[in-house]
Amino acid sequence: MGSIVQVTDLVKRFGDFTAVDGVSFSIEEGEVFGLLGPNGAGKTTTISTISCLLSPDGGDVVVSGHSVHGATMAVKRELGVVPQEIALYPTLSAGENLAFWGRMYGLSGAALKSAVNEALVLAGLEDRSKERVEKYSGGMKRRINIAAGVLHHPKVLLMDEPTVGIDPQSRNHILQTVKDLNASGMTVLYTSHYMEEVEFLCDRIAIMDHGKIIAMGTLNELREVVGGMDVVDVKVESVSDSVLECVRAIPGVKQVDRTDSALQVLTPGSGAVLGKLVATLESEGSHVTSITVTEPNLESVFLHLTGKSLRD
Amino acid sequence: MRTLFTIAGKDARILVRDRTALLVMLAMPLALIFILGSALGSIGQGDSLDIDVAIVNQDAGDTGQRFVDGLTGSKEIDALFNIEVSDDADAVRTAVEKGDLTAALIIPSDLTEKITAGEPVGLEVLQDPGSKIAGGIWAGVVRAGVSSASAQIIAVQTLQEELAAAGAGAQPSAPQGAAPEMPPMTFDAVAVREIEAQVDKRISMISYYSAGMTGMFLLFGSMFGAFSFVKERREQTLARMLSTPASKLAIVGGKAIGVLMIGAGQFAVLLIGTQMLFGVDWGQNIGATILVGAAEAIAAAGLAMTLAALGKSERAIGGIAPAAIMLFAATGGSMVPTEQLPKFLLPVQVVSPVYWTVNGFLDVMRGASVADVLPGAGAVLAIGAVLFAFGVWRLRFE
Repeated sequence: MGSIVQVTDLVKRFGDFTAVDGVSFSIEEGEVFGLLGPNGAGKTTTISTISCLLSPDGGDVVVSGHSVHGATMAVKRELGVVPQEIALYPTLSAGENLAFWGRMYGLSGAALKSAVNEALVLAGLEDRSKERVEKYSGGMKRRINIAAGVLHHPKVLLMDEPTVGIDPQSRNHILQTVKDLNASGMTVLYTSHYMEEVEFLCDRIAIMDHGKIIAMGTLNELREVVGGMDVVDVKVESVSDSVLECVRAIPGVKQVDRTDSALQVLTPGSGAVLGKLVATLESEGSHVTSITVTEPNLESVFLHLTGKSLRD
Repeated sequence: MRTLFTIAGKDARILVRDRTALLVMLAMPLALIFILGSALGSIGQGDSLDIDVAIVNQDAGDTGQRFVDGLTGSKEIDALFNIEVSDDADAVRTAVEKGDLTAALIIPSDLTEKITAGEPVGLEVLQDPGSKIAGGIWAGVVRAGVSSASAQIIAVQTLQEELAAAGAGAQPSAPQGAAPEMPPMTFDAVAVREIEAQVDKRISMISYYSAGMTGMFLLFGSMFGAFSFVKERREQTLARMLSTPASKLAIVGGKAIGVLMIGAGQFAVLLIGTQMLFGVDWGQNIGATILVGAAEAIAAAGLAMTLAALGKSERAIGGIAPAAIMLFAATGGSMVPTEQLPKFLLPVQVVSPVYWTVNGFLDVMRGASVADVLPGAGAVLAIGAVLFAFGVWRLRFE
């Protein structure tokens, strides 16, 4: 399958601030592509430019062969957008909201009715379709927010942090919904700063920071960035600079990063390092409160590339 | 076009569920019409015991003057009326037509001549139809004056006849029937013709404030239209709309038509409500009334765009919009008739859609046609077009 979305050297500035700085990637038809990065990395600006809400200051975005330069309506017709905010009308019912957004995409009559019913089933709210959205829980609103973006069966679905601020049960429902939509053939561009979601959903991932893509590939390809090393997270009561130096001097320790009252240690063999690590910390007066060992993940990749946590 | 009405229909549906908006747009104007119309109605209608009237005596003989003296010399009549004696019948007629005078009496030039000849003659009593009670009192006073004058003349004639008869007995040489040769001078032949001023029909206060408050509150639709736009911008539904295959122009047009639809509904409720609740007569030409109201509803849509462009938040619009609407309303005659306002406000009045709308409604109440109110409606549409163009030019979507 070929690329359905091609982003080439995309630049977007707001005054002197460059929010997106030469971003390029392509999304294959039928894949779930993830944009991972901390808040302010430029993910929403990238999605807003693809969905024609913002005009690029440089570069191009092509969706199904239509460029955002001059063919915005054709681009919009290919897309479904699920914004980060719950962009619904609180005093309208779920059914009324869906019907409105369906009409905005040109649906009418029996096709509209069918699409609304289908979207209500997708959101699991077919029994509460006549209730005003303002009476729904946060998770229910999120589900309707997604349903409103897909009821016209777009080729490409752009989802901007769709799980912000919801309970785990609703999050699981949403993640499964994305999987189901993708299984039905929908291409998905999914942005998040939750690495677990991106790891769970995405075939390929681009990691963004400060408006640039700093790494891109499959999950396994990205794990290779940290050399397949184990990640040892150690929580301590305090970490001084001298403690940090002592830990770095332990044989087998390749990298040490400090975050608040925790250390993250990268090592090719955690078994050989753990004992010395704990002994060093205790002898230096940093009492260890917990210690966990994990295989490399996107968090450690991001930490490795930027020296900071995704949630910073 | 379908997108426009989809957006407009959605906005109308949301507004209908907004109790605050309904209170401001429907309940408040009806309450104000009732309060202002009731409180000021008696003053406006001139039914106080200080009624302004005029007398024009055109009689070439002395009967008219005696009649005037009888009316102006009475303390009882003086307690009820401010009587102005004038020589200018046309000016007095105009004053009654304008409502500056409640009533008037015009004595014809041939009163004495016709009474003397025993021919019928008419006294013309003009009255403002908006002040029927006061006008009726004046007509009653004139009739009473006619009866009294007739009785006096008959008494004088009888006395003269008796004196003549007695004189004939003492002086047989006197020709018989000398007294009967006197003309049968009597006011019985005088008819009081009550004439209502037709050219400028006076309007009751409740009707006036129905026009005034409707003219003012139709503009409040613009405030809620601007609220809607800014709220959509804040809650990102506007951005979501922009991500659909709808152009910015279609979205702005849909929002504007939404305000227009809301204004049309509000106008219908106020029109029917004031008729049913207060018996307001909006005039015979419903087409002209609708034209005037529709023009202002369109102007409200234009104002909504300007407000949405100027106000960055709902709070800002909540400050700007009532101030602007109140200024338009105060200078446009919603609160007091424009002729009572200082002349220096004239430049403000002409750019106030309320001014043209209120005057349009009042003109239709007085009998104006569609053609008569077209210029005013055109002025309102022009103001609306300028506001719409400015709003669209300055509107921020992000």
